[in-house]
Amino acid sequence: MINIVLGLLLRTAVVLTGTAVATFTLLWLAPGDPALAVAMARYDSIVSTEIIDLVRAEAGFDAGFWPAFRAWVFPLLSGDFGRSAVTGRPVLPDLLSAIAYTVPLALAGLAIGLLISLPLAIIATRNPGGLLDRFAVAIASLGTAIPAYWLGLLLILLFAVKLAWLPAMGTRTPLHILLPALTLGLGVAASLTRIIRSGILEARTQSFLPAFKRRGVIDSTIGKDHIAPHAAIPVITVLGLELAFLLEGAVMVEVIFSRPGLGSFLVNAVEARDFPQVQAVVIVAALLFVTINLLIDLIYRVIDPRIGESNA
Amino acid sequence: MTLSVSNLCVERAGCTLLHPTSLTIQPRERIGLVGESGSGKSTLGHALVDALRGQNVRVAHVPQSPDEALDPLRSMSYHWREAERALQCTPDRQRQQQLFRALQIHQGNLRKRPWGWSRGMQQRFVIAMALIGSPQLLVLDEPTSALDPVVAARTMNLLDSVLEQNQTSMFLITHDMGLAAKRVTRLLVMDAGRIAEDAPCSSLLQAPVTPAAKALTRHRTWPAPC
Repeated sequence: MINIVLGLLLRTAVVLTGTAVATFTLLWLAPGDPALAVAMARYDSIVSTEIIDLVRAEAGFDAGFWPAFRAWVFPLLSGDFGRSAVTGRPVLPDLLSAIAYTVPLALAGLAIGLLISLPLAIIATRNPGGLLDRFAVAIASLGTAIPAYWLGLLLILLFAVKLAWLPAMGTRTPLHILLPALTLGLGVAASLTRIIRSGILEARTQSFLPAFKRRGVIDSTIGKDHIAPHAAIPVITVLGLELAFLLEGAVMVEVIFSRPGLGSFLVNAVEARDFPQVQAVVIVAALLFVTINLLIDLIYRVIDPRIGESNA
Repeated sequence: MTLSVSNLCVERAGCTLLHPTSLTIQPRERIGLVGESGSGKSTLGHALVDALRGQNVRVAHVPQSPDEALDPLRSMSYHWREAERALQCTPDRQRQQQLFRALQIHQGNLRKRPWGWSRGMQQRFVIAMALIGSPQLLVLDEPTSALDPVVAARTMNLLDSVLEQNQTSMFLITHDMGLAAKRVTRLLVMDAGRIAEDAPCSSLLQAPVTPAAKALTRHRTWPAPC
């Protein structure tokens, strides 16, 4: 067990190191003068070359790649994400408040996705190849094909403009989360329905099931205790990927519904070439992904300890 | 009680796997079913179990491989409890321990899942599970193929005594003519989805009539030490 945990932590460390190096290098190599962008974002007007030089020295851009990298990475190891190049405020509190908007949205999207896809998949597999099944597959394919930004606009048009049932913009009340979460959830529901459906159908073909029937085990027990756990394994894999997709998709949905969160944080930071902020977002996103993967790995090991027995 | 089924028939994808077959099984009768691979022995076994279950006969089935009997994600104790529940038996630890000791799997860890046990132990566990409800008929599909000869003989001896006590009939599907010669009194020979020959074991082994039975008895390996 200790070996497994150590192995997982080691993998996490490798991923985070790679992310840090790659992000910093890419930003460093990106065309354009970051000092100019920062200076313009800071003063909101045309700036003189002296000010640009001042900004360059302050941000450490003039020191060369390695000194700048070290100056960023070593504080990072103790959890210090540095200060925004534009506002001079510490990055972490702003980032955390942005995350506090985005994570509930992503989770609400996932919950809506599961609430739709689970019953739909179960109904569809009652009669595989039947009318309901084909309908569910068609809906799922359609859902995968529809981009979130278009779906979001349609939902705003229907629920906020025509029917005036739900608020569309901002975060004033808890109700404000409904439309963006629905936008995310419908996209997730589409792919989840397909994967849950095929997971159930696959689990039903297992060779040991007839023996359980002959032993007199009732159908509901077979479904709950023997089909569901086997069907859950591929679903959990996809669930992890979906969560990653949701965090990513949330960025776009936040822009559509003009919600604060990681989306606007990232867009503003990139526009202003605010390196510390961009790097912080990427590192935190990588951390989230790795944590989700870790959780999935551990859940696997609980359901089926054979998985990962050899590679830990 | 005499058990009988008539017109068992299995078709799959337009192909007849089992032609209409009727069978009568006397109480405590030991029937062997032999035949070449693919002749429909297991299919007949399944159809027999399903038909008798439909008549509310207490019938237990031991599949050919433990992979076909145990869920790899569930513990052994889970399987046992579930089988007891399915037969509406009250949990009886003493009976369980008695069966496990007789089959020499009492040292197995019941909290483990099937793949934590050896295949031979899994197979004996499945046999023990089949004996839970004192069935009227026990259908065994190649019960000893995963066992070494010593354990196989011991398992068959145990089955003999349990079947004797409970007045249970046995339907033994096997490739092993030696096993059949020793353990059954009536032998059925299966050929291409039909019962080709049905005769007392000793007379069939000495004077087979049909080509299928002749082919099977050509290599005289019995009486083998089984």
